[in-house]
Amino acid sequence: MTLPTTPSDVDLLRQMMTGNEDAFTQLFQRRQASVYRFALQMSGSRTLAEDVTQEVFIVLIRDGGRYDPDRGSLSAYLYGIARNHVLRKLEQDRPFVQLADRGDGDEFIPEAMIADGNPLGELTRNEKIQELRDLILSMPPRYREVVVLCDLHEMSYGEAASVMGCAVGTIRSRLHRARALLLEKLRAARDRNEDSQDVKPARCFA
Amino acid sequence: MKCDGFEALINDLAKGVIMDAALRDQALSHAASCQRCAMRLADERELTAGLKALSIASVVETPARVEASLIAVFREQHAALPAPVESLRATRRWLYVAGSVAAAVAIVLLLSLAISRTRDAAERQKPEQAIATPPVPDQHHEPALKPPDSQEESEQKKPTVNAAQTVAAVSSRAKKTPGTGPGTKPGIKPGLDLRDDPNTEAEIATDFFPLMNRGAGQLDSGQIVRVELPRSALMSFGLPMNMDRADERIKADVVVGNDGLARAIRFVR
Repeated sequence: MTLPTTPSDVDLLRQMMTGNEDAFTQLFQRRQASVYRFALQMSGSRTLAEDVTQEVFIVLIRDGGRYDPDRGSLSAYLYGIARNHVLRKLEQDRPFVQLADRGDGDEFIPEAMIADGNPLGELTRNEKIQELRDLILSMPPRYREVVVLCDLHEMSYGEAASVMGCAVGTIRSRLHRARALLLEKLRAARDRNEDSQDVKPARCFA
Repeated sequence: MKCDGFEALINDLAKGVIMDAALRDQALSHAASCQRCAMRLADERELTAGLKALSIASVVETPARVEASLIAVFREQHAALPAPVESLRATRRWLYVAGSVAAAVAIVLLLSLAISRTRDAAERQKPEQAIATPPVPDQHHEPALKPPDSQEESEQKKPTVNAAQTVAAVSSRAKKTPGTGPGTKPGIKPGLDLRDDPNTEAEIATDFFPLMNRGAGQLDSGQIVRVELPRSALMSFGLPMNMDRADERIKADVVVGNDGLARAIRFVR
């Protein structure tokens, strides 16, 4: 008895290039979440993440023949395209940095963050996660991307180097610096929270 | 292991991805003996835990509308795959050739029809001319566009002198064709070869050939109209034609009476 074999990404791409829509759908469903999540974590914007995901797969539809399997996995190729698009859009939007506005409906609130057990504990946990997310978004893109790729997407240094087109050593040192920066920001944020909690109501002169 | 070495490994240690067990043990024993490095490791582990939670919380899917629009793009892309360029070119070439052939056939048919009608008319005119009185040429006007000697020749040779003289009279009233007056080359007799003459700069013309229209009366006045005809029309008047240039056009002057009927034609180069 032989088990049905799952076609590789490259096989699906080849079939897709011949006009096989099922192959495209399969490949999209296999890779869309990671591309979308990467764009979302890099930008914090659902709209931008949707645009980037769409653009990544449009590139694959139109120029899929440019993918060279010898240069890395298809996943890394897609991440690389997504990265280029995200960085370009972030660069375009740089003069219009948004203030932290939680009410425009475009911020990132995944379903998994909705509390279903202990509401107070979940709230604290969700607040910490949101804080961490905000801190990541506040980092410069070159540090942000290594944290997203290596920590959130659990890529190896080699895979991240393939996506970013740099040496493994560069990834390693940049991640080290990024995490140190993140810890620094976390400590500063906690210090601010503790200071605000330490404020005790004094006499009211009103 | 010293603090520098520990610092280099701390990320992997916190994430638990160090594969070398001996190296991991050395790092952990250093953290146990160094309070600062132990605190660093604790921070890194906390950060790793937070990032892991964030990663799990961030499991999201692309909205369905993205997939739908991409499938539409995919279909459009593959539906719009162009036919091979060569076959398109061949199709266009074939259409061009077919169009040219059709146009040529149409021209030939029209010409042959015109020629047959002209000959038919000439055949019917002959007996009429035999009994007709030759009209006296108008002496007040210039005799013709051609020298008198050539006109005389044509009068002697051709039985259609009546029409030719009439045409000559009309022509003299009409605007003169440049280059056909005195001082220019003498008029070309019918049958003169109109093939390229490199020394010719001015316009030269054949004699007028009468066109016998059924029901056409005497020509009192009319106009000369400059037209362009296929070169092959020369043959229908017994003029030589270079077959290599059969598809080119040649100018002609047509004498049109006031009744709108064409009476005579001459070819001009």
